[in-house]
Amino acid sequence: MDFDPLDTIEIRGVRLRRDPAREQCFVVAHHETEVQSARDYSSVTAVRSMLHREYNNETQNAEIAAQTIVDFPDAPWDLRMQLARQCWDETRHARMFLRRVVELGGRKGESPIKNGDWAVVGMIDNLPGRLLVQHRLFEGGVIDSFRQVAQGFRDSGDARTAEIYDVILADEIQHVRFANHWLRHFSHEPRAVMQMASALTFAAGALRKLAPLPGDRSIDGIDLASIDHRISINVEDRIRAGFTEAEVADLEEKDSASQS
Amino acid sequence: MLLSVRERGETVATLRWIHVRLMETIASWVPTTPEMEVKLLFGAHVWDLAQHADTLGKRTQELRMPAQHSLLPVDAYQTLLGELGRVQDARHRMAYFYDGILVALASRYRRYLDRTDALLDAPTVRILDYLTREQARMVSESRDVWNHLALATGIDRDPIEHFLARESTIEPFVVHRATDARA
Repeated sequence: MDFDPLDTIEIRGVRLRRDPAREQCFVVAHHETEVQSARDYSSVTAVRSMLHREYNNETQNAEIAAQTIVDFPDAPWDLRMQLARQCWDETRHARMFLRRVVELGGRKGESPIKNGDWAVVGMIDNLPGRLLVQHRLFEGGVIDSFRQVAQGFRDSGDARTAEIYDVILADEIQHVRFANHWLRHFSHEPRAVMQMASALTFAAGALRKLAPLPGDRSIDGIDLASIDHRISINVEDRIRAGFTEAEVADLEEKDSASQS
Repeated sequence: MLLSVRERGETVATLRWIHVRLMETIASWVPTTPEMEVKLLFGAHVWDLAQHADTLGKRTQELRMPAQHSLLPVDAYQTLLGELGRVQDARHRMAYFYDGILVALASRYRRYLDRTDALLDAPTVRILDYLTREQARMVSESRDVWNHLALATGIDRDPIEHFLARESTIEPFVVHRATDARA
C-alpha cells in the first residue's frame, strides 16, 4: 500500500497516518504534551477528560476496523464479519463514553483529542501486521488497563462509570480473541510472519520516539516522563482472549521486571 | 413466469455482491466523515450490512452455488454504486444511502417477492422479508440522526429523486448465467 504524502504527517521524526476526519469542535492533538493527562478519579474535570479521550479512542477503533475492511477486500469472509461486528461494538463504546461525559456536565469537543492508534496502525499496509499491532498489542493492553481503571472508579464510588469500562472490556476480549485466532492462522505463512515482525518493529519504534522526554508536560501540567504506566496483567481475561498460558506468563515476567 | 433455481441463485448472489459493496462503501465513510454521530451511525450499519450479506451468502449454497458466492450486477448498477461511493458531504452520504439506495433495494425486494413462489422459494422470501425490516430500521435510525443534528436543512432533494429514478430503470440488474464472481 503506497501512502500519498498528503495522507501522512511527521511527528517527532515518525511518519504517521494523517488524522481521520473530525468536526470543527475538536482540537486535534498529535502528542501527549498537547492533551490532558490527569488521572484523578475524585475530580469531575479530570474524569470528564479521561472519558472524553476514551470516546475518541473508541471512535478511532471503529475507524481502524472499518478501514481494515476497506483496505483488505480479499480477507477471509469470516474475518471481515468479525471486523464488521467490531465496528458496531466500537461505535457503541464511543456513545457510552460520550453519554457519560454529558451526564457529568461535559460536551463533545470539550478537551483535546489524539488519534495515536490510527496514526500508527494506519501506516501498516498488511492485514497480519495490522491485526498484530491494533488488536493483540493495543487492544490487548486495554484488557489490562480497563480492568484497573474500572477498579479505580469502583474504589472512588463511581459504579456507573466502572460498569461502562467493564462492559467494554468484555467486548474487547472478543476482538482480541478473533485476532489471536487469525494471527495463529497467518503464522503458518512465512510472508505473513515477516509482515507481523515488520509491523511490530515499526510500532515499537514509533512508540519509543513518541514517548515523553524529560521535561515534557501535558497541558494540565502533568510531568509526563514521571507517570507510572505500570499495569498488572489481567490474566483471566487475557486467557479468555486467546493468549496461551505461556504468553501470559511471559507478559507477567516482563511486567515484574519493569516493576523491580 | 416462475423463477428457476438458477435464476433465484443468481439474484441472491447478485444481492450479496451489492450488500458487500454497500458494507465497504459505508465502511470507507467511517474515517472520512467528520460529523461524529453520522460516523458512528455508518460504523454501526457496517455490521448490519455484513449480516445481510452473510445471510444472502448462506442462501447461495442452498441454490446450487458455493457458500458466500457473489455475482456482479449489470454494469449500470456497478456504475451507480461507484458514484454512491464517491459522495463526499455527510448530508449527501446520508441522503443517498438511506433515502436512496436502501429505499431502492426495498423496492427491488418487493418486485422479486411479487415474481417468486412463496412456497417454492420460502427461504429467500424469509430473507428478503428480514432485510426489508432490518433496512427499514436502519433508515429509521438515520432519521434520528437527521433530526438530532438538523442535517436535512437546506438539502436539495432533486438529486436523490434522480438517483432513485435512475436506479429503478436498471432492469434487469442481475446478469443471468454470469460466471464472474468476487468477494
